[in-house]
Amino acid sequence: MFGMAGMSPVRLLTLGEGLTISFAADELSVFFMGITTLIWILVGIYAIAYMKHEGRSGQFFFIYALLYVVLIALDCSANLVTMYACYELMTLVSMFLVAHNRSREAIMATLKYLFYSLCGAYLGLFGIFYLNHYCRDLDFGSAGRLDPTALAGQEGTLLVVVFLMLIGFGTKAGMFPIHGWLPTAHPVAPSPASAALSAIIVKSGVLATIRVVYNIVGADFLRGTWVQTAWMSLTLLTVFMGSMLAFREPVVKKRFAYSTVSQVSYILFGLSLLQEQAFTGSLLHIWFHAIIKCGLFLCAGVFLVVCNRRRVDELYGIGRKMPVMMWCYTCFALALVGIPPTSGFVSKWHLAVGALESGAGFFSWFGPLVLLISALLTAGYLLPITMRGFFPGADDRCTDLAKKEPPLLMLIPLIVLAALAVLLGVFPNGMLSVCRDLAGLWL
Amino acid sequence: MRTMRFYLPGICGYGLSFQLDGFRMVFALLAVFAWTMALVASIEYMKHDKHPGRYYFFTIVTLLATLGVFLSADFFTALIFFEIMSFTSYTWVAQTEKEAALRAADTYLAVAVIGGLAILMGLFLLYHMYGTLDFEALGRLVQGAQPTTMRYAAGVCILIGFGAKAGMFPLHIWLPKAHPVAPAPASALLSGMLTKCGIFGAIILASRLFAGDEAWGIMILVLGACTMFIGALLAVFALDLKRTLACSSVSQIGFITTGVGMCDLLFGEHALAAHGTMLHMINHSLIKLVLFLSAGIIYMNTHELDLNKIRGFGRRKPFLKGCFLAGALAIGGIPLFSGYISKSLLHESILEYGGGGWIKLLEIIFIVSGGMTVAYMTKLFVTVFVEKNADAALQERYDTNREYMKPFTAAAVGIPAAGLLLWGWMPHRLMDRVAELGSGFFALEEAGEAVHYFSGENLIGAAYSIAIGAFVYLLVIRRLLMKKNEAGAKVLVDRWPVWLDLENSVYRPILLGFLPTLFGLLCRIFDSLLDGAVVLLRKTIYRDTPLPRYYSEGNALTRALGKVLNLWRDLANHTWRRSHPVEKDYVHLLAIKSDEIAQSNLIITRSVSFGLFLFGVGFCLMLFYVIAGDLHF
Repeated sequence: MFGMAGMSPVRLLTLGEGLTISFAADELSVFFMGITTLIWILVGIYAIAYMKHEGRSGQFFFIYALLYVVLIALDCSANLVTMYACYELMTLVSMFLVAHNRSREAIMATLKYLFYSLCGAYLGLFGIFYLNHYCRDLDFGSAGRLDPTALAGQEGTLLVVVFLMLIGFGTKAGMFPIHGWLPTAHPVAPSPASAALSAIIVKSGVLATIRVVYNIVGADFLRGTWVQTAWMSLTLLTVFMGSMLAFREPVVKKRFAYSTVSQVSYILFGLSLLQEQAFTGSLLHIWFHAIIKCGLFLCAGVFLVVCNRRRVDELYGIGRKMPVMMWCYTCFALALVGIPPTSGFVSKWHLAVGALESGAGFFSWFGPLVLLISALLTAGYLLPITMRGFFPGADDRCTDLAKKEPPLLMLIPLIVLAALAVLLGVFPNGMLSVCRDLAGLWL
Repeated sequence: MRTMRFYLPGICGYGLSFQLDGFRMVFALLAVFAWTMALVASIEYMKHDKHPGRYYFFTIVTLLATLGVFLSADFFTALIFFEIMSFTSYTWVAQTEKEAALRAADTYLAVAVIGGLAILMGLFLLYHMYGTLDFEALGRLVQGAQPTTMRYAAGVCILIGFGAKAGMFPLHIWLPKAHPVAPAPASALLSGMLTKCGIFGAIILASRLFAGDEAWGIMILVLGACTMFIGALLAVFALDLKRTLACSSVSQIGFITTGVGMCDLLFGEHALAAHGTMLHMINHSLIKLVLFLSAGIIYMNTHELDLNKIRGFGRRKPFLKGCFLAGALAIGGIPLFSGYISKSLLHESILEYGGGGWIKLLEIIFIVSGGMTVAYMTKLFVTVFVEKNADAALQERYDTNREYMKPFTAAAVGIPAAGLLLWGWMPHRLMDRVAELGSGFFALEEAGEAVHYFSGENLIGAAYSIAIGAFVYLLVIRRLLMKKNEAGAKVLVDRWPVWLDLENSVYRPILLGFLPTLFGLLCRIFDSLLDGAVVLLRKTIYRDTPLPRYYSEGNALTRALGKVLNLWRDLANHTWRRSHPVEKDYVHLLAIKSDEIAQSNLIITRSVSFGLFLFGVGFCLMLFYVIAGDLHF
């Protein structure tokens, strides 16, 4: 892809024997950098208009730009130690986005975010110490760096360590049990920040997981072990739990936050199957979910600052006032549910078919079933906003609003994202071949 | 007819594939015809609607999606267009935005989403098992092999989706609710064409995936029998014109489903069943087009669908009466009309399978349901076109209302009605030939033998149905369902028990009440597991050090005294000093006072003078002691 793969890493620092801070862009880096950049540009445009309402826009854009640099560094990390450093840095920088409005609620949410993220990262760090001993080196780019001679007899311990690392890096990805920061941090952050958090930051947990499982430990080491079973169970539980809680949540942004909990675990479930097609589905869903969820949070931002509406039931009749924006919302909603021919359908198709092909016994058919039940719940928590938005009946709650679309700077990113959410589903072949190549590298 | 295929690679990853054969062509043309008629009728019907734009837009998109379903050559393509169709037709149901419409639309959408996801699950399984979703390829792959549990699971999932759209029991719940509230032309399409998309899937399952499988065939037959009987029963009890027609659709879908089941059981020699199924599908589409458009005309003029209120509307309207009658006779299976032909074929296929016991029972249900069809159509016809309204003034208005529709609306109803008559009168020249077109789709190997439609056996079957219909109409509808109102006129009354509504008494409580509450609670527990642990720790071992407390000024005495004085001040301010209130805080004042005193005390106590003073006091006390002692001794 783009001829960047296979470049020798750029070494920045040497920490100790075999431990370097170095960067290299392999295919996965490019894949993640692509979505990061896309989202960053669109959210940036949106934020120009949005932050006028929120205030402190200078500070916001400073942090926003800084975070982009850190994320690119994270995506391009060439070994586990570098990645860990960037990962921590990302937490520390993104913290300021959550704390943006300085309210007591925001500070408490930031502290919670910080606490959970650091706890998760330390579990990862613990694993890195351990892995350092049993791996030839901690460089990325191949399918497993375990050293069989050092490992002999220690497999059981290493499995425990890998499991802890999965939980640790799962924190950022919102995997049960350490997912609690998501529904707290998202609602208090400014909407562009929530969009960036949900679309990109949570995906860095996914990136870290891919690196650890597929590059360092190797998929073969985990296949068929209790760790895989436990990982699959946790992700499926998270998928269901997130959707169920979103279904019962009346506050829009919190609803979307729970939805992120659920959807990112779709990705993790695909990874946990250790199967090529499921991995392809996961990679597709990384992009698609980023696009869709970013769009949804940007819509939530419009509800919040333009319409001054926080709760779902205050949105009845909104489609009459902002038809273009609500059409965008509808595209996102349908895509997230996975209604063909939108993008979510394509990724879920690969996830489910991959699950059935994986030969994971019970999970091979139970997984797709949970995904579909969750899709039903997704329809239950997203579609009513569209339906009641366009068909309020007698219960129109938006009569106080003027019939006016949001400012163009906010609308255009939404339209671009909505078009992507639909068109990438109708014509997925470009994305598909990229993801297939990627999945074929390490499986 | 030659089969044509068309493959559009890359769409949605898997690619879309289409196929054109006789059956698909017939239904594609029928869809275009029905849509044209409905759209023509919509011009007048939707004239006063608030949102005509979205109605027309979504109607056209739904047409395209429906064509997509009918022309699809694999399940993937079918699913994609099926989902688009479900979502765009949602807007029909919600169009009027009345409360009942929104509720019905919610149900419709829920059924559509659940159905779509069920199909998707089935597709996952099929794709996993056979690596293809192409109808013909699947048919070849499963040939001769005994169905596995997995294939049954996949089949049931797919059937849930398509059956829900068709209106099969027990997922027929959306139909009687959605049709009455949608605009009439949309109801005609919902009932006439969209339900056929569901049947399309059921035929594929029965003729490809489970061809000749007895268990599957019996399951379909049971569903078909339930659907036709329950639909007819609901229609007999219904009080609303469009609701009756909607329930009638459920019942007719039951007839068609029975035909599909017979195709499966008789597979290999299923020409009769296949022809009957296909012809009844076509008949039902045309009939429901005529009947719903007629209902639309009635609604356009009266804004009522309640049979008691529209009673007598059509007495002096021969054209409308004629059209409605053509539809009613056809659907009732009266000889010389088209419904008779298709029902005879279906009946003959049941007889062909033969055997005793349950197949006999099926035949009885078939004939009784046919009889009930006659009964409820008689009810509609007599009420609207024969009887006089209880309100004489209203009847007068109805009778003088001659300009009740525009010519193009008349054409939209008249053309299908005329077609229906013509088609019914030429069973051999027209119907048999069209039925032949379906042989590829139904996987027929040999052409069916010519059927003598007017043989004694078939006529007797029809006669039974008519007799049962007359019996039901005269004894049940006129006796049980009608009573005299205060004015002495006979009106229909609602005798259907409310709790027998499957949607309100089973589905909604379970899906919206019980399950979300239960799982919501469980998930909430999981959700707060770690947060709870953190909170617990923070309350116990990891308690925050208390924030440095600023000691309040003064001492206990001044604070207590100050509070009392403050109370006194408040009391005063609210009563006798209201005009010039005191703005002093006595706690603060007293504290300052006490501070001043303390300060002074400090100066005093640290001074030499004070020491000398204390010395003096002590000296005096000692002297006093000494002196007092002296006095004592």
